[in-house]
Amino acid sequence: MYILGIETSCDETSVAIIENNRVLVNLVSSQMFHKLYGGVVPELSSRAHLEQLFPLIRESLKTAGLQIEDIDIIAATAGPGLIGALMVGYNSGKTIAHSLGKQFFPVNHIEGHMFSGFIGRENISYPVLNLTVSGGHTILSVLNSPTSINILGSTLDDAAGEAFDKVAKLTGMGYPGGPAIQNYASKGNEGKISFPVASLKSKYDFSFSGLKTAVLRYIQANYKNGELPGEDEKSDIALAFQNSAINSLINPVKFALKNHKFRSLSLNGGVAANKKLRESFKNIAEKNSLELLIPDFEYCGDNAAMIAIRAKLLNDSGVKINYLKYEPFPSFRSEFLENNM
Amino acid sequence: MTKTLFTSNSSSLSDTKKIASEVVKYISPGSFVALKGNLGAGKTQLVKYISEQYGVYSVSSPTFAIVNEYNGTFKIYHFDFYRIKNENELIDLGWFDYINDENAIIFTEWADLFPALIPASCYNINIINDNPENRIITLEKIE
Repeated sequence: MYILGIETSCDETSVAIIENNRVLVNLVSSQMFHKLYGGVVPELSSRAHLEQLFPLIRESLKTAGLQIEDIDIIAATAGPGLIGALMVGYNSGKTIAHSLGKQFFPVNHIEGHMFSGFIGRENISYPVLNLTVSGGHTILSVLNSPTSINILGSTLDDAAGEAFDKVAKLTGMGYPGGPAIQNYASKGNEGKISFPVASLKSKYDFSFSGLKTAVLRYIQANYKNGELPGEDEKSDIALAFQNSAINSLINPVKFALKNHKFRSLSLNGGVAANKKLRESFKNIAEKNSLELLIPDFEYCGDNAAMIAIRAKLLNDSGVKINYLKYEPFPSFRSEFLENNM
Repeated sequence: MTKTLFTSNSSSLSDTKKIASEVVKYISPGSFVALKGNLGAGKTQLVKYISEQYGVYSVSSPTFAIVNEYNGTFKIYHFDFYRIKNENELIDLGWFDYINDENAIIFTEWADLFPALIPASCYNINIINDNPENRIITLEKIE
């Protein structure tokens, strides 16, 4: 079975084709800038999505060696996201599916991340304790099955990825913040500086605003008149920040493991590309004898392969969707997301 | 014309919460509130406390999403221009539809990045956090 996935919820235009669990092709616009735009970053707009979408669909079919008629299911992100951006991918996908008489699946973007570690895997052991960490989301959830997800907690202020970007900006480490901080942190001295780890009343929630402010205070106290730290000092700050951010992310995970039984542990979203965070999850999984589900780097940021795999899991679960009833929506929630445990 | 409605000092989250309940006395549906202040000044935190006054307890940072929408006593649109590269991006995502929604209150962080898009009649909240122990928060009305 072939599934074509389309993702246009925010910055990235992405198209993927999967055959069962296997990704045949996964194209993401930002990685094709040079090819499409000669290196110029296009603006964040529905027009940019529109310009990129059909070339990407044609390119993905060509790469997979398929015709559009060979596709069995088309899936597109219905939200959350920017309405103009969502409408481009969603309405294009729905129209292609309808005109060819194929099944169409509206997919929740966050659920796409949650199940992205299932790419290329068979026979997942539920329940899965899942942490989704990206620029816009930080969510701890329990995946009971493809059609039952419980949210345990989420960020009360900034998302983890946003904290990486903003701290990198405050300290002059560059953009994007994730790789910049990881790179500096790898050269830092352990224990030279330390930043607090948020301690919250709700043990499953996250907070990164205080950590961001702690770094700001450190800069204000040690560097006057807009001066920035030197390279060695940046490394120590990056390491201290990364340690604190990772502890803030794994404490709720450890708390959940104490209180509930799980068979798998999963980590996904853009921040899941952080090597130290991946190592921490690997250690926790080994210690608790859990199956570990972390997507390859390629599927951590926004991508269409995760939208396609999500549609596959729903289809395999026998979910029938009357897609003509659905519209893309900025705060789209699916019926599979349940309230707190 | 710029009129200063009040200036307050905040040295704690509970001070900021009190200031939020003061801000609410001035604004109403149709109001546009521009927030200005450096990274870590507490713009999102203030919007969070103001929104609680309207029954919305789930405000988180809109930096990546660009805009978050909430339904409380009133509809709230919470924008952040931090990631916006040019005015066209905002116009493309329906900026004028949002700011012409008479039933909503709009909060916009980093509004000073694109002054041309800010309504002529609006409120400004300036947060100065040069001193680690104290933030100075000013509410202004622009007409």
